[in-house]
Amino acid sequence: MPGWQAIYQQLKDKNFEIVSVAQDTNGVKDAGPWIGAANPAYTALIDEKHLVSKLYNMVNVPTGVWIDEHGKIVRPNEVAFVDDRFKNFSGLDSAPYLNALKDWIEKGDKSIYAMSEEHLREKLSVNDPYIILATAEFGLGEHLYKTGHLNEAIPHFKNAQQLNPKSWNYKRQAYALSDAKRDYGTTFMDEVEKAGGSKVYYPPPDLTPNATTKAKKP
Amino acid sequence: MKLRVSTGICTLFLLMARGSVRAEETRATIIYDDHATEISTANLDVGQLWITTVDLTRATRFELKPQGVCRNELCFPLPKSREQEFVRKISGQAWFDLVAFARLVHQPVAHDEALAMWYFGLRSDQRQGLSSLEAPDFTLPDMNGKIHSLSNFRGKKVLLLTWASW
Repeated sequence: MPGWQAIYQQLKDKNFEIVSVAQDTNGVKDAGPWIGAANPAYTALIDEKHLVSKLYNMVNVPTGVWIDEHGKIVRPNEVAFVDDRFKNFSGLDSAPYLNALKDWIEKGDKSIYAMSEEHLREKLSVNDPYIILATAEFGLGEHLYKTGHLNEAIPHFKNAQQLNPKSWNYKRQAYALSDAKRDYGTTFMDEVEKAGGSKVYYPPPDLTPNATTKAKKP
Repeated sequence: MKLRVSTGICTLFLLMARGSVRAEETRATIIYDDHATEISTANLDVGQLWITTVDLTRATRFELKPQGVCRNELCFPLPKSREQEFVRKISGQAWFDLVAFARLVHQPVAHDEALAMWYFGLRSDQRQGLSSLEAPDFTLPDMNGKIHSLSNFRGKKVLLLTWASW
């Protein structure tokens, strides 16, 4: 969070806002201390129901989306690290993403990082009925957990994980509410290893010009 | 009164289940728009949730109207030829299958059998299809409880960023 605070200070006078949203079932209890410590000047929201992940079909954190002045998506869900604290884990250098972000803030839809509509549509195709059903299983799991039925919640969290196997959020949040080894027979790190290791489990942002150059309008 | 209701349920069962299962009135919890409501249900078959239209309104704030199932300006007409799938009238009491309605409005449903709990997710009108490339709007509190909507930032470039403590 202090990293984003520095970026925000640098860019906020360029008609730019950061809206951060904590995906935490326990809400302020879990996310509050982090926000309190960082005390960011940008907007920091609490999302107990993981609503934003549902609406945007996000699968992990941190995830960034660029939205223009008209409320249109410019770049969809992608990993958004602000610094290199997790570089040993992810293998990701944060600089290219931040440079791309600055380029867009400067140049708007003329930035080479503003995606073409065609490319965006490809990235956002989300009408998968299993993914939609997974949101309800996860929601029921959360409700059961919050009403003191952790044991009953676990099968529903598992259903959500199976229906949307790409979602790391469904795994990581459920493991955090449980003893993962006992209740799920695995851990986040075990799952990361199964997916090929921490350097590849969450694909890096695709910042090559080919993928991002805006298609010429006819 | 109690007798009349249970007679109603039996009649409902006879008319609807056509001998397939035995209907009983049982308690259930509906979670709709993340709001939990206790109701009583006549569960006739797997994958159905028949509730009274009174409970429909208590649990979901939707009302059965001549033009469809409505909440304020939002109205979902019921397909005329399939009305029986959604609504049955027995001895003056109207019953409504909330799961059939969920199918109609493309709303995902999760069910916990042991606790008789039904969770209704976002309807298709609440999911705001991403195919328009319009950023779905949402309204959430900050840690002091102050409410913010993404649409408040219209006119600015926004980096929307999710993170978590876990």
